[in-house]
Amino acid sequence: MRELRFDGVSVRFGSRGHRVTAVDGVDLTVPAGSVVGLVGESGSGKSTLARAAVGLVPLSAGRVTLDGAPVPTRGRRPLQMVFQDPYSSLNPRMTIGATIAEAVPRGTDRRAEVARLLALVDLPDRMTRYPAELSGGQRQRVAIARALAGRPEVLIADEITSALDVSIQGAVLNLIRDLQRTLDLTILFISHDLAVVRYVSDTIAVMYRGRIVEHGPADTVLADPQDPYTRELLASTEGRSR
Amino acid sequence: MGRVLRTPLGAAAAGTVAVVLLLAVLAPVLWTDAANAVDTGQIQQGASADHWAGTDSLGRDIFFRVLVATRLSVQLALLATALGVAVGLLLGTAPLLLGARAGRVITAAVHIAVAFPGLLLALFFAVIFGVGTTGGLLAIGFALAPGFARLTHTMVAGVAGLDYVAAARIAGVGRLRVLFRHVLPNVAEPLVVNATVAAGNALLAFAGLSFLGLGVQPPDYDWGRLLGEGLGAIYLHPEAALAPGVAVVVAGLAFNLFGEAIAKGVGLERRLGTSTSRFRRRPRVAPDPDDSAMLVVENLSVGFPGTTPVRGVSFSMRRGDAVGIVGESGSGKSLTALAVSRLVEEPGIVEAERLSFLGADLRAGEHRRLLGTSLAMVFQDPMTSFNPTMRIGRQLSEVARHHEGMDRRAAMARAVDRLAAVRLSDPERRARQYPHEFSGGMRQRAMIGMGLMGKPALIVADEPTTALDVTVQRQVLELLASIRAADDVAILLISHDITVVEQVCDRVLVMYAGRIVEDLPAAELRTGARHPYTKALLAAVPDMTTDRELPLTVIPGRPADPANLPPGCAFAPRCPLADARCATEDPELVENAGARVACWHADVPAEVIS
Ligand SMILES: Nc1ncnc2c1ncn2[C@@H]1O[C@H](COP(=O)(O)OP(=O)(O)O)[C@@H](O)[C@H]1O
Ligand code: SF4
Ligand SMILES: [Mg+2]
Repeated sequence: MRELRFDGVSVRFGSRGHRVTAVDGVDLTVPAGSVVGLVGESGSGKSTLARAAVGLVPLSAGRVTLDGAPVPTRGRRPLQMVFQDPYSSLNPRMTIGATIAEAVPRGTDRRAEVARLLALVDLPDRMTRYPAELSGGQRQRVAIARALAGRPEVLIADEITSALDVSIQGAVLNLIRDLQRTLDLTILFISHDLAVVRYVSDTIAVMYRGRIVEHGPADTVLADPQDPYTRELLASTEGRSR
Repeated sequence: MGRVLRTPLGAAAAGTVAVVLLLAVLAPVLWTDAANAVDTGQIQQGASADHWAGTDSLGRDIFFRVLVATRLSVQLALLATALGVAVGLLLGTAPLLLGARAGRVITAAVHIAVAFPGLLLALFFAVIFGVGTTGGLLAIGFALAPGFARLTHTMVAGVAGLDYVAAARIAGVGRLRVLFRHVLPNVAEPLVVNATVAAGNALLAFAGLSFLGLGVQPPDYDWGRLLGEGLGAIYLHPEAALAPGVAVVVAGLAFNLFGEAIAKGVGLERRLGTSTSRFRRRPRVAPDPDDSAMLVVENLSVGFPGTTPVRGVSFSMRRGDAVGIVGESGSGKSLTALAVSRLVEEPGIVEAERLSFLGADLRAGEHRRLLGTSLAMVFQDPMTSFNPTMRIGRQLSEVARHHEGMDRRAAMARAVDRLAAVRLSDPERRARQYPHEFSGGMRQRAMIGMGLMGKPALIVADEPTTALDVTVQRQVLELLASIRAADDVAILLISHDITVVEQVCDRVLVMYAGRIVEDLPAAELRTGARHPYTKALLAAVPDMTTDRELPLTVIPGRPADPANLPPGCAFAPRCPLADARCATEDPELVENAGARVACWHADVPAEVIS
């Protein structure tokens, strides 16, 4: 069980001429065993923050730590990520079994481990199938199984339900909640949908133009938003509900 | 491959390539003796019944020599191509393997090399590697390499940016394995196509080197050398030069055309919609329901052997309407859209009582003129909608040239104009780029731009944003909305995401198991939905009042299998309100106060369900 911490993290893209600061001095702590929801509009820098945490984009400043130590980049990876789009996050030319097995650490019985993981995400008997043979929801379950293959303690979920049929979105959210409780995972849950974030998170952080503008317990943030952007977000989400 | 062979040009090219390869294998076995037989009594003769292409300065039969030379010529071309591809792959994948800094140096070097004409490069290398077969091989191989390296590099960069590569790296998969398992298999197709074209070029280039005396040296001979020898006596008997010349041109062209035919088969067909599905007309029963309608669909069904995934869909649209179709995957949304655009492929059968667009009967094949001009289609995956081997500008301008007979320059000018209209920055440069140099959002814009090459009255957009990052989703939706506002273009938007449809459309059609089960104004979706399936779809999306301690409502069971539908209402196995009648009788879609619903219990209030 580990704590994920961002200290003064900045990410800049481009060179001299046109520089974009996608993430701007973010301090954020995801306490061990809890779910922090990160919400914000498209382009506010949520995905970039996530990709920076797992080393897919370089940091311009600051550091990301797990229990105070840098995130390991070789050997066992205690920090894993699930992507938005289950259509592009699985290699179309590899079977489900091979995709998951690849992420299972060496020295484990891979077959047995893959079977265990597929059972965990409620997808038994699909080992020899290709992604094209699965529905979007099933693919996202495979992606979750792959992320769990390295037995991570911390998971980053970036918009994992926004590419799914609404009828399946609920089932995937329920699965994430169950897994978090049974495996005692630390989760940074990213979504542009405040209602979805509210449903899964213990605390909510709001991102706007690369900065965290508000962070607190879910009920407090929703009942008494401090930042003007949070208020706007809340108003537009409530307008949508029945 | 089957598709390639079906076009006359593709079949001819494939046939010629096969003959050339066969000759390369067999000719030296069969005719080496005939080709080497010296006959001092028959020196430098013209064509005759004994010697079809005459004889050379030692009286050897030139026709047989050309046939026998096939092996060496083809062998050298293929070896040079293999060398070029291998070096190109190494250079092109180096940035991925070596990391950013070393990668940049290599990429810059490749870019410089690409700027030189291939033949110049080959001559330069020929001087470096020396005269002879090996020297020529190395020269042409290395001359091909930069082009391949650049292609590989851009293709690899495209795939390396995809999430499955990122996921594999996060999972700790090594770089080499990422390259061989994840990247190369997914870029192989265009690389093979280009290698085939390159083989044709290598053949021509080698002939050139040998002709200049820099390639194959006596006593060996390839077509280039035979050509050089024949040219010495061109005024006496031209057939000695003609025979090897024809061989070079035919074989080179065959490889080139074969490669391009494959490229077309891979990319273009889907877009231009070589729809060959049969169309059965049903007798007209009802009179025209609404004469001001631009698109009228009445009792539309789409069937495949064993199943009917679309069953009796009826709706109509006026100019400037925005109608959304929602439903789970497999509910028949896309097939409905494809049927409207007449793009359902064999063995699908489309039936309808009426299917008219702007007054034209789509069932009568009057659609060809309209498709690509008045009716535009945008697909989910913009990568597979473009031909990977053609520049974007050319693909757009072909639409105008094909449909309106515009000349090349005017069509290209319009293409650039439309790329600007979909708000791509620097459209002139973009028009010269290949699809893989575009991001997903840019490709989707270009796809919409292609739809705007004509003057569309209707844009059918099938999940246009599903494959895109949410950052880009909204921009694409806004683009569609602004096109609609500017030119009164109607939009038929298909999406699994009920909130997207709610934002963009005026009316929502909800589909389940191939039928419209509810049709209502988008503004009333959350308050006025009456079908249990529509309500369940809405309830499955959490809102700000959802109880956080309870699991979310999910629609139990699986979506109906169109091949195996229950006798009554298709939703009955998953419906909380289902009763005996539902299990036996399928409810009709009934109109009531501007909305339509198909349910026996449409009047039961929502609270009873949840
Ligand atoms: N590779 C990149 N190069 C340049 N700009 C980028 C890149 N990736 C993201 N950005 C920009 O960074 C900002 C944040 O993007 P992103 O992290 O994807 O936001 P979110 O996930 O909140 O939608 C956006 O303005 C986006 O255009
Ligand atoms: S007809 Fe019956 S089973 Fe079908 S949706 Fe209505 S109540 Fe449910
Ligand atoms: Mg994002």
